[in-house]
Amino acid sequence: MPSTDHILVPEHELMSDKEIKELLKDLDIVPENLPKILESDPQAVKLGAKPGNIIKIERRDGKISYPYYRIVIEG
Amino acid sequence: MQTEVIDYIRFGVLSPENAKKLGVIKLTVPDTYNEDGYPIDGGLLDQRMGVIDPGLICKTCGSRAKSCPGHFGRIELVRPVIHSEFSKVIYMILQSTCRSCHRIMLSDEHIDDYKSILTKLEEDTGDETEPAAAELGTQGEKGDHATMLKRLKNMKKCERCGAQRGKLKFSSPTYFYVDDYKLKPDEIRELLSKISAEDLSILGIDGSKNRPEWFILSVLLVPPVNVRPSITLESGERSEDDLTHKLVDIMRINLRLEQNLNAGAPQIIIDDLWELLQYHVTTYFNNETASIPPARHRSGRALKTLAQRLKGKEGRFRYNLSGKRVNYSARTVISVDPNINIDEVGVPQEIASKLTVPFYVTTWNMDKAKELLARTEYPMVINVISKDGKRKRAIDTNREDLIKELQVGDILERQLVDGDITLFNRQPSLHRVSIMAHKAKVLKGRTFRMNYCVTSPYNADFDGDEMNLHVPQNLEAQSEAKFLMSPQYQVFSPRDGDAIITNNEDGITGMYILTKDNNLLTKEEAIYLLSIAGIYKLPKPGKGEMYSGKSIFSMLLPEGLEFEGRSGNAPFVIKNGTLVEGIVTKDTYGRGNNKLLVKICNDYGYEELKRFIFVSAKVADAYVTMMGVTVGVKEYTTSKKLEDERVRLLEETFEKINKLIQDYKARKLEPLIGYTPRQSLERMLIAELNLVREKAGETLLKYETSENPAVEMARSGSRGSILNIEQMTMFLGQQATLSGGRIKRGYYTNRVLPHIVPGDIRPSARGFVATCYYSGLAPTDLFMHAVGSRSSEVYKALLTARSGYLYRRLSNALQDYCVDSDYSVRDTNNNLIETIYGGDKLNPIFMRFEEDKKED
Repeated sequence: MPSTDHILVPEHELMSDKEIKELLKDLDIVPENLPKILESDPQAVKLGAKPGNIIKIERRDGKISYPYYRIVIEG
Repeated sequence: MQTEVIDYIRFGVLSPENAKKLGVIKLTVPDTYNEDGYPIDGGLLDQRMGVIDPGLICKTCGSRAKSCPGHFGRIELVRPVIHSEFSKVIYMILQSTCRSCHRIMLSDEHIDDYKSILTKLEEDTGDETEPAAAELGTQGEKGDHATMLKRLKNMKKCERCGAQRGKLKFSSPTYFYVDDYKLKPDEIRELLSKISAEDLSILGIDGSKNRPEWFILSVLLVPPVNVRPSITLESGERSEDDLTHKLVDIMRINLRLEQNLNAGAPQIIIDDLWELLQYHVTTYFNNETASIPPARHRSGRALKTLAQRLKGKEGRFRYNLSGKRVNYSARTVISVDPNINIDEVGVPQEIASKLTVPFYVTTWNMDKAKELLARTEYPMVINVISKDGKRKRAIDTNREDLIKELQVGDILERQLVDGDITLFNRQPSLHRVSIMAHKAKVLKGRTFRMNYCVTSPYNADFDGDEMNLHVPQNLEAQSEAKFLMSPQYQVFSPRDGDAIITNNEDGITGMYILTKDNNLLTKEEAIYLLSIAGIYKLPKPGKGEMYSGKSIFSMLLPEGLEFEGRSGNAPFVIKNGTLVEGIVTKDTYGRGNNKLLVKICNDYGYEELKRFIFVSAKVADAYVTMMGVTVGVKEYTTSKKLEDERVRLLEETFEKINKLIQDYKARKLEPLIGYTPRQSLERMLIAELNLVREKAGETLLKYETSENPAVEMARSGSRGSILNIEQMTMFLGQQATLSGGRIKRGYYTNRVLPHIVPGDIRPSARGFVATCYYSGLAPTDLFMHAVGSRSSEVYKALLTARSGYLYRRLSNALQDYCVDSDYSVRDTNNNLIETIYGGDKLNPIFMRFEEDKKED
């Protein structure tokens, strides 16, 4: 089984340009201020993400879950 | 104003040419002042190097002491000397290069090999400014640089020119020998200057910017006088800075060397002086240089030279740059006073008279300001800061003038008075509650007084602890402190929501005996206790005009409080502000059982919470004082009954254990799942031994009744545990459990002590102590006990050191993170750390539940 599908790995999802625009407006932030994820990260590879893309991660903690956003960077 | 962004800063070595340009004058006279007390021209305090006396004008820049930045001078050494801090690098270069052809002693192929690694590394880091060779030595395809140097070191013949070379020896700090010939600094400089920049880059030195021959000094920069100011003593005598002393030494030897050279003195004298010059220059940079004696002051004290100024705890970095000192603060020993409220601090009169609080003069308080300014005793004005920022000291003779001049916008600095907001702090400041806002309360005495309920957040005790007090200096800071940092707002811990500012120790003991069932007080006692709490009415008397302890406690509770909780296993019920059932114990007051305090806080607010904690602690304290709770040997004495019980319990257990061991030996023991029979036996034995200890505790509680204060304290949870009493009156139980198991080794042949038969696995052979402190321990038992003590002591020491540093690093890393108004966590550059704080927006301080949270 690929490690990206492990039960402990939260769900990763590429965001559309429209979603990104909204997100940045909501957070009042520039993309550089977001946490980073490497282009070579297994999840980014799986999604085919390129530098500049933003990946939404649905983090689960017990019964609740909340979104986390990472910008893909080179490397 | 135009601003520029700094691209980079380059650190490098100063060339003699640059040193000459930088040094505004050449110093020639190895002295400071002439007979008239005037700085000698060309001497070490030449006024062209800047001035420090106010009023004098700098002869270089023409400005006064305040604005003159100081200018470097220079000493031109007649013979060059080695900069000792570079001697290791010089050694490395000399080792790697040929002394005939002045190249790295490797053939082009080999050099290319190393070069390719270098360029590859540069590409990898993508940063040419990075010293790649240094990288090579430490990481990546390391080994290579180090192996190259090692190889070069051991080469006897140059691969290029084939020249043989003698063995190079380095003797710290500055001596280099080839075979037995001592290399002179000028010879070394000659060798170094012939090495090409290209070769240097392979050795890890940027030869285009820093030349290795600059490691040999021929021009020595002299720091400006304001770096080494001279001090005028009271006697009018001048005392020079250590650096000046050292520079005088250097110049004196330099001059003597020059004279001897000019006079054509014999080589041996020249060499001696040269070496002496080298010594002085070496100690000028670092007076703790290894393998040479430190230069000393006339008094015998080692001189504090350049490296000593910067280095270590008392050095420039740690002492002056990272350690700033503040005004408006005080420090003294702390002591207890239960009459001081939890949001107050007792300030000694002496300190209150020194510390000041600003009083802003406005149109509306002008009269009050003048009144204040006119005062000539304690709460008086010490300074007047006029609108233009000038500070004038108010003394009895100028008060009238100051009053006349007083205008709106001025600030008066008045002495600290009762009720002023101060910040109280104890180091180490590990968490936010290490600094809290307390109202000043000016008292007699010389210590800070505090309520004992606030000791735990500060982790303070009164065995000589000192604490700091700071006075916020503007209204914004004062109100911020008051409304965010007051202890009543900090009662609940931000870690887990538990109460950290609560009644404790004697306060719990007092409340426990007060609220015990059937505890009755006379009218006088009731009045006394309630008056301490500031309550001037009595509850309804019980039978015989006596007042129950519970009714006294009820009077302290907020009016109409409804509460149902537990105190240990017993119910604890308050109805309409009256304690109907239950005894106050530690469980009532927090630390995992904060429900009563939570209820009060939620229903009545922080001020009532503060009042309740303060008042109940104060009354409890008074009651303990009244009753005289004390413990002595008597409380820890074994009684006949207990002794019988102990023997019975142990016999019972040993019998069971013997049975288990026999079963095991007969291979009849049913093993536990997942364990071998031997492991199972061990687990069963440990379980039995723990069980007997628990049983002993129960027996103890049964036999020892409320007459014993030691048991009372353990029951109420204020101090000591049943286990403590048990170990003193019954038996110690299992000792020396090392990493989870009973001790089994120590003496050879698999036994703990020579007194034990090898292979014995009975409790007594493995650290079970069946006697108590009161009756005394047998030597073998004492040994077992000491093993346990030692291991826990060692463990504690290691753990606190390790975890303390771990915590410090973590809190420093996280300290600037802040929860935004949208609950996201960001740093100071607006970088997003977390989209939602903790994933759930919950702050433990406010997670106050009156009911047990239902499992769902």
